[in-house]
Amino acid sequence: MALTRRTILGSVPFFFGLAVGCAASTNEITAFTGLREITRSGTGNSRLPTILVLMPDTPQTREVWKGLTDELSEGYCVIAVRIDHSSESIAVGEAIRVYQPSALVLMNNPTLKAYKAYQASGKAAKFPPAVVVMTSFLEGQVQGVANATGINYEIPLITVITNLRRLLKLGSERVGVVVREPLAAFVSKEVQLARREKIRVVTEFVSADANASEIKRAIRRLKGEADVVWILNDDRLLSPRLISEAWLPGLEERPWVPTIVGAGSLVLAERALGTFAVLPDHVGLGAQAASVLLDMADNGWTLDPGASVQMPLSTTTTMDLGQVKERFVMRDGAMQQVDRVVE
Amino acid sequence: MKKTNNHQELLALSAGVAAAVLMAEPAAAQQGKLLVFLHVAMKQRALQTELESALGGIQVTAVGRIGDFERGLQDGVDAVLSLPVLLAAFKLSPKLKGVRGGSTEEAYSLVGVDAEPVPGKITSVGALDLLGRDGTSAFVKGLLNASPRIERVSKVEDLLPLLQMQRADAVLLPSRLFAEIKSASKLALFQKEIGKTVGLPCVASVKPSGDAIASAISKMPTSAAKKLGVDSWR
Repeated sequence: MALTRRTILGSVPFFFGLAVGCAASTNEITAFTGLREITRSGTGNSRLPTILVLMPDTPQTREVWKGLTDELSEGYCVIAVRIDHSSESIAVGEAIRVYQPSALVLMNNPTLKAYKAYQASGKAAKFPPAVVVMTSFLEGQVQGVANATGINYEIPLITVITNLRRLLKLGSERVGVVVREPLAAFVSKEVQLARREKIRVVTEFVSADANASEIKRAIRRLKGEADVVWILNDDRLLSPRLISEAWLPGLEERPWVPTIVGAGSLVLAERALGTFAVLPDHVGLGAQAASVLLDMADNGWTLDPGASVQMPLSTTTTMDLGQVKERFVMRDGAMQQVDRVVE
Repeated sequence: MKKTNNHQELLALSAGVAAAVLMAEPAAAQQGKLLVFLHVAMKQRALQTELESALGGIQVTAVGRIGDFERGLQDGVDAVLSLPVLLAAFKLSPKLKGVRGGSTEEAYSLVGVDAEPVPGKITSVGALDLLGRDGTSAFVKGLLNASPRIERVSKVEDLLPLLQMQRADAVLLPSRLFAEIKSASKLALFQKEIGKTVGLPCVASVKPSGDAIASAISKMPTSAAKKLGVDSWR
């Protein structure tokens, strides 16, 4: 029998005040509250502080969960509740009321949006500290969210190029990037950080709704000046149409330059789009989020007001081996520095 | 009659199978499962392939995180290869010790940007996570005789971002790995040996069959052993 919203809400006072920690089972909680508990981890001691993780159920979020729980299971009850859509602000609120967490972890854009809506609803005066992960361009998004910090999902350019140095012989290390105006501030910060490693960046600006010929022109100009092209994870620039009409033909033209992308799906043996993908190591991301939570716990579950969004530390590298062999010169031992090879 | 024949045939077959299993036992033991938890200057995938080829027939699982090591142990392995400090934490005794330059220990260094780090003055240090939060923290503080904030990472290459992003004043690592970090960076990196040493990789048997794996490791090609920071085994 499906639970109605009324039965869900009616059951909440029943659970409220009970020990809804790791002693209860996932099935019990799901049956009584209608919340979609995915899994939980901990020693079974209901007195342990609870960390509530709001997330969709995907292979990537499961990896982040693994990193989190490896670090936290001994001292905390960690509970994952499924949130799939930005419209689920009521479920977010119910989960917080039922589990009374000491801290929250919010995974991905729709979950953060749902949580923002919950905060805006005015149903609570105080909010537990929250760590946000797997959310694109987080620094802009987390502003205005009370008591929240997080870890960026984008890999910093400085890390990307450092990884590339282990794989390829680059000439002058001039990196070209096509940028739409809305992402100019993001790129500017990346350029500044990359300067520490003497990485020079050539920027080609295109309009906010750039068409294929504008992007192709920008790629041609970049290839004349840069010896590697960094392709931003910008949905607008990476629509299927722009990939086939601008990026692929633009990159196929000589001179060939290696490209770095931020999505594994853009490194394909049959299409020379991404030469390399440098991606977040999701287990490492979970471990890094756990460190933030442990620091909060040491600090009486308070978030340092000066805490800034962190950069991800751990990455994985994917390489299109066929493209590299055909077009570029690999360093000795490069294969030992790659996590995944596409052939 | 036919039934009896079948029964006799089955008995004969069983005896044959049993004999074959008994005869095959030494070879099976030499295969076995080896769990490796070491921080090296290559990806775990590459380390696993390298060791499998060096130890023909032995099933190698290379992990880079303490959680994966614990799960690997629970899954049942014959032997483990890791640092002695980790083996001690799991109450395992080394059967075979790695040796480099005649010693079973190696030097560790602090690496900082623009100047040699001074152990007593740094407020935060990056370190490879070997023993989890509390264990690694105690291990690092013991080595430094100081109490900086510890930033743990799970891969050698993740130490450099700590310096690039100024998340740590210095990073701690085996001195032999300094060259690997330096080769990927244009920061002005400075190395300072801390004066204390840490045990080189060791092999411990988890089951009696692990002894055969230790024996195979002692005979592995020098080129493979060098990737672990070891010249020979004792």
